[in-house]
Amino acid sequence: MSTPLSQPRSRVPRIAEAAVERARLSVVPRTTRRAPKVPFVTLVSLLLFGGIAGLLLFNTTMQQSSFVASSMEVQAAELAGKEESLRMELDRLRDPQTVAAKAKRLGMVPSDNPAFLRLADGKVLGRPTVAEPSTGFRITPPPPVKPESLRPRTVIAEVPEANRGDGERADSARRSSTRRDSARRAGSRRDTTAGSGAASRARGAERRTTGRDRNGADRSGRAR
Amino acid sequence: MLRLRVGFILIAMVVSVFGARLFQLQGIDPKAYAARAEAVGLQTITLPATRGSIVDRNGEPLAESADGLMVVADPMMTVDDAREIARIVAEDLDVDYFETLDRLRRPDTRFQYLARRVPAPDARALVERLEELGYEGVDTRRDPVRSYPSDDVAANVVGFVAGDGEAKQGFEKIFDQQLAGKDGTATYETGGGQRLPLGDNSVDPPVDGEDLTLTIDRDVQWYTQRVLRQAVEDARGESGSAVVLDSRTGEILALADHPTFDANQPMLASKNDMWPRSLFDVYEPGSVQKVLTAASLVDAGKVTPDTRITVPGQIQRQDRTIGDYWDHGRLRLTLTGVIAKSSNIGTVLAADEFSPKELYDYLSGFGLGQVPGLGYPGESGGLLPSWKTWSQINQDTIAFGQGVSVTALQMATAVNAIANGGVLVEPSLVKGSATTSGGAVVGTETSSSRRVVSESAARMTAEMMEAVTDPEEGTAPAAAIEGYRVAGKTGTAQRVGEECGCYDGTFTVSFAGFAPADDPRFVVYVVVQDPKNGGGGGSIGGPAFHEIMSYLLRKYAVPPTGAPAPDNPVEW
Repeated sequence: MSTPLSQPRSRVPRIAEAAVERARLSVVPRTTRRAPKVPFVTLVSLLLFGGIAGLLLFNTTMQQSSFVASSMEVQAAELAGKEESLRMELDRLRDPQTVAAKAKRLGMVPSDNPAFLRLADGKVLGRPTVAEPSTGFRITPPPPVKPESLRPRTVIAEVPEANRGDGERADSARRSSTRRDSARRAGSRRDTTAGSGAASRARGAERRTTGRDRNGADRSGRAR
Repeated sequence: MLRLRVGFILIAMVVSVFGARLFQLQGIDPKAYAARAEAVGLQTITLPATRGSIVDRNGEPLAESADGLMVVADPMMTVDDAREIARIVAEDLDVDYFETLDRLRRPDTRFQYLARRVPAPDARALVERLEELGYEGVDTRRDPVRSYPSDDVAANVVGFVAGDGEAKQGFEKIFDQQLAGKDGTATYETGGGQRLPLGDNSVDPPVDGEDLTLTIDRDVQWYTQRVLRQAVEDARGESGSAVVLDSRTGEILALADHPTFDANQPMLASKNDMWPRSLFDVYEPGSVQKVLTAASLVDAGKVTPDTRITVPGQIQRQDRTIGDYWDHGRLRLTLTGVIAKSSNIGTVLAADEFSPKELYDYLSGFGLGQVPGLGYPGESGGLLPSWKTWSQINQDTIAFGQGVSVTALQMATAVNAIANGGVLVEPSLVKGSATTSGGAVVGTETSSSRRVVSESAARMTAEMMEAVTDPEEGTAPAAAIEGYRVAGKTGTAQRVGEECGCYDGTFTVSFAGFAPADDPRFVVYVVVQDPKNGGGGGSIGGPAFHEIMSYLLRKYAVPPTGAPAPDNPVEW
């Protein structure tokens, strides 16, 4: 840049020096202006705060949902437990022993001879017979026999003629009055190490039916 | 320069403080700190696999897993309020009041069971209720797991799982690998006892056990067990077994043993009652064996049901005298009559047609002396001595069922071969197939069958067996079912005593039969050991057979075939 200018300087007299000076090339001032700082700072701050708030919110929701999850887990466990206990109850009710005991209590007896009615022509197949209580079988084991030494001596007392005739009711009244004792006796007869709810329930039922069995057997014995 | 030095000294001081602290942490007591770090770090819990159920052929559970709790008490804390607590516990859990009261007051102990295997919600509700009322000392513990909804039904087959979760007996033990499944684990990071939501977290899910389906029908099994129990008790017998087979498939519908045990309370039972006697107890079958001998003779073409046999009052064989159970003079019986009246002498005379090897081959064809292979370790195959060792008297007694021993299942299977048209089907207890812990694959899918006698021989034998339930001629009229054709055979055998190894004067009585005789569907075999009421196979086994068979025909809706019964002459 200086080489082409040096020649005119030497040749041309220094006139209109100011104009020349003005005509000289010079650095053009920067036209682009610096971006304003405020929007940028705002943006960054927004991002920052947004991020923090988002994270906070995210954390909170995570916590929240983990609480919900655990409470629902508890609920699910409770419901599963309830379902299970209902299913067990159902199993118990469907157990053949339970069904048989109930049927027996209703006075049902197993049929002795199978017979069928064919619907197509109304023909009876097999020989239907009347089911008698005596043809049934015991569904409960006989009560354990007490050793001789524990058996109280039987005292035979003469009953006045007037009080006879309603043996059944007298018997049941006597039973209820000695219920406490019999329960205690039953308790001591049982094992003392383990007693399950369901099992004792079943045993309770068995005890009851055993009593009935004995009555039934007595009755049928008399009938025969 | 001075500033540099001062800075250097400061840095050195700080670093030596760090060094000292490091030494304190790592050098002096590193374990305590490691343990503390671990306590706040990862936690691993076991996710227990659910044990597979054992179900009957209709999917009814015989053994299932449940999440139970036990209710326990600390008598030291409950003794003062025992009366009230006992009342509530007895109300809610249906346990005995007096027993509970007794336990709540028991001295010198801090742990008493009040109830076991209580459904979890019931137990929790009870404890909550007690706490609300201000009573202390009652708590729950996890009480897995195995529940047997029908108590003693099929307990002999199913076995049980002990309180500690170990399979102890029966199929629970034999198929433990299949049933048990595999426990999983869950690992997660904790802080302050809480699970960290964003912490490390990994779950190895548990693999639940597979179900096992048996061929047993729970209802039939229950019925059979109750009938058998009554039969054994009424006869004042030592023990008994009853087997019910589906004739066509060999599937075991019921395998009952008495005495047996309650699978929910195995501790109350004698160890001897915990395995199936019908697979392990060997005994001499007695006269039921005669039908096998007769079927073999008919199949070999040596005799027919009408073959005439002159039966003397007694016969001499080697140094022994063979007689019948009833005194008689010279009788003229057909082979049908020999079976109907269960004559030892007649059977011996008929079996004279056989060489020892022939009889031996037939009998081992019927499965005598061979292990049935249900998967039980140590299952018995009875004893059929080799024909080479037989003398005349051996062949004679084996022909009518003495000097040979069997299990109840073997005898039922052999009789089933006659019911099934001469084809012996191996019995099975598992529906489909399953692998035992010993590696054997068993089940209906793997069961095989083989022809033992011809179809016509089987039919003729069945007709002879029908005469046994004949009200006039037979030994077991009590086994007959009105309207049906029923084939059967009684057995009353002398028993070998354990101590002396000789016949000790006790008996084994049994009855095997099938119905309808001309199109058999079921085989029922009942055996009672050592009855003390003087009864025989007909009077003890017969009625039990009648009850069980009637039930089967009713339950499976098998109408009578309607064909007229054969009228083979029993005498000539």
